[in-house]
Amino acid sequence: MSITLVIFAAILIITLAITYWAAKRTSTTADFYAADGQLTAAQNGFALAGDWCSAAAFLGFTGLTALYGMDGAFYALGPLVAFCTVLLLIAEPLRNAGRYTLGDVIRTRMQSRTSLLAAIAGTVVVNFAYLMPQMAGAGVLVRLLTGISYDWAVIFVGVAMIVYVAFGGMLATTWVQIVKAALMLGAGALILIMALALVKFNPVTLFDMAEAKYGPAYLLPGNYLKNPFDQISLGLGYTLGLSGLPHVMTRFYTVPDARTARRSVLWVMFLAGIFFAGTTIFGITAAAFIGKDVLVAADKGGNLTLPLLAQYLGGGKGSFGGELLLGFVAAVAVATILAVVSALTLSTSSTIAHDFYVNWVRGGEVDSKQEVLIARVTSVVIGILAVALGILAQGVNVAVLVILAICVAASANFPVLILSLFWRRFNTGGVIGGMTVGLISSVVLAMIGPAMRGADALWPLVNPTIVSMPLGFLGAFIGSLLYGRDVDNEKRFDDFLIRVHTGVAPK
Amino acid sequence: MESDMGSLDTAHTSVKALIAVKLKFLVPMTIIFVVSYIGLTILAGFGKQWAGIKVLGSVNLGFALIAFNYVLSWVLAIVYERVANNTFDPLAEKAVHELTGEQQ
Repeated sequence: MSITLVIFAAILIITLAITYWAAKRTSTTADFYAADGQLTAAQNGFALAGDWCSAAAFLGFTGLTALYGMDGAFYALGPLVAFCTVLLLIAEPLRNAGRYTLGDVIRTRMQSRTSLLAAIAGTVVVNFAYLMPQMAGAGVLVRLLTGISYDWAVIFVGVAMIVYVAFGGMLATTWVQIVKAALMLGAGALILIMALALVKFNPVTLFDMAEAKYGPAYLLPGNYLKNPFDQISLGLGYTLGLSGLPHVMTRFYTVPDARTARRSVLWVMFLAGIFFAGTTIFGITAAAFIGKDVLVAADKGGNLTLPLLAQYLGGGKGSFGGELLLGFVAAVAVATILAVVSALTLSTSSTIAHDFYVNWVRGGEVDSKQEVLIARVTSVVIGILAVALGILAQGVNVAVLVILAICVAASANFPVLILSLFWRRFNTGGVIGGMTVGLISSVVLAMIGPAMRGADALWPLVNPTIVSMPLGFLGAFIGSLLYGRDVDNEKRFDDFLIRVHTGVAPK
Repeated sequence: MESDMGSLDTAHTSVKALIAVKLKFLVPMTIIFVVSYIGLTILAGFGKQWAGIKVLGSVNLGFALIAFNYVLSWVLAIVYERVANNTFDPLAEKAVHELTGEQQ
């Protein structure tokens, strides 16, 4: 415990020092929302890895693999495949077509206030659905590690997050991510080498040991995701949902051009890809050497598998090495949550301040200095709201919200974004249709599904993406057709294409 | 004014050519990773007995295909970067040149 606190205090001091440094460099809107677009590909790659590897991911995937075998490995593979979609179809057009937010892309393409409002709704719903379980997770984790109460843990995380975002904007948020990603990847590499050393660097031995202990069924799919359609739904949600997560996608505005955006995706694909492949090895190692019974006894969902594996590899309970590694992994887990909630808070306040207040309410008639002030105040308000929701979420089943975040991202944000970039006849009606149908079908199906209602579910799938995403696309098509031909919009599309594919807007 | 329109039109034509080249590469690449990954989830959902075929020691076909998907994603990423740098970027620069020529 005390080792965790010392390491975490060190991380906190470093990140606050970074925030102080970043705050002095943050004065314009471009600074606050996008770190002035001055990050390098490697920096953005690390920050993307930080954004995408939430605590739920790196603790969760390891635990799922340890307890359920192959299904955990599926969860871990998804994020890498998702970045194929981002690299091939999204990252560069997005970089070229927008400035600070996803709303910018829709606004540039449609030039209509109603479609901007739809884009704002998509961002806010996804971000809050993501933010609330993260805050709840932070409360549980910090209480577990330090012994302070859940409410105070949530407040503590909230205050740190507000300080990073309100003072340091995107620059501080990015560097908090980079520091955390570097620590997490370092810890991951160390654990991977130590785990593989147990079996003389022959990973097949790990599988042999796990099969000998738990039988061949352990290595088969379907132990966790019982419904075959849930497997496919999860796959779709992951591959397409990432492209609709605003807090990850706004990262592409922090680099100078499309070429750097491209390179930063290669960075994250190798950094996070190797790390997530590692979680599969961690899970199997923990099952083989520590045993599922011990892991379940520590946490029913297996979420403490990685810290326990670190302790085991370092020399076991009570040994200096064991406690040091455990403390390190635990501190990194808290830092991870802190970094992810900061990114979500920044993304939400950007869309409220920039898209909603400045562009929707005021029609863009706000000077840069005033807008930065508005964005800072908004981030404080969002932060306080997140703390309140985190406290309310205690003991509530928040698993459904995690599914909802990724499902809405894939079913509402993704169709609207991809059609905006690539379909000439897509129009304001399509934006509204896609957003509304994608949002409503995701929310309704998730709420009546097993994640929310357990055995009383009215609908069999935990993750409804397989149905809600086609519905979102259908809504976008029908909306476009019902709205009728928008000739001006279609004429503008040629100029928009120049901007999307070259980064230069015709005057 | 008329020549201005001409340059913008040339830029439009160049961007259309760029998009055609992009589609030639991106459509097959997208099909490859989507089929490979969604195919794997379908196999996991409906073909449990095949996913359990042993490939190497106790490592079964399912895990082997998961490993294959990792490698495939990395290979596609590297190929894409090469193609983008060598083929897409010069075409985009050509269009920008035509456009900024117009603005001068």
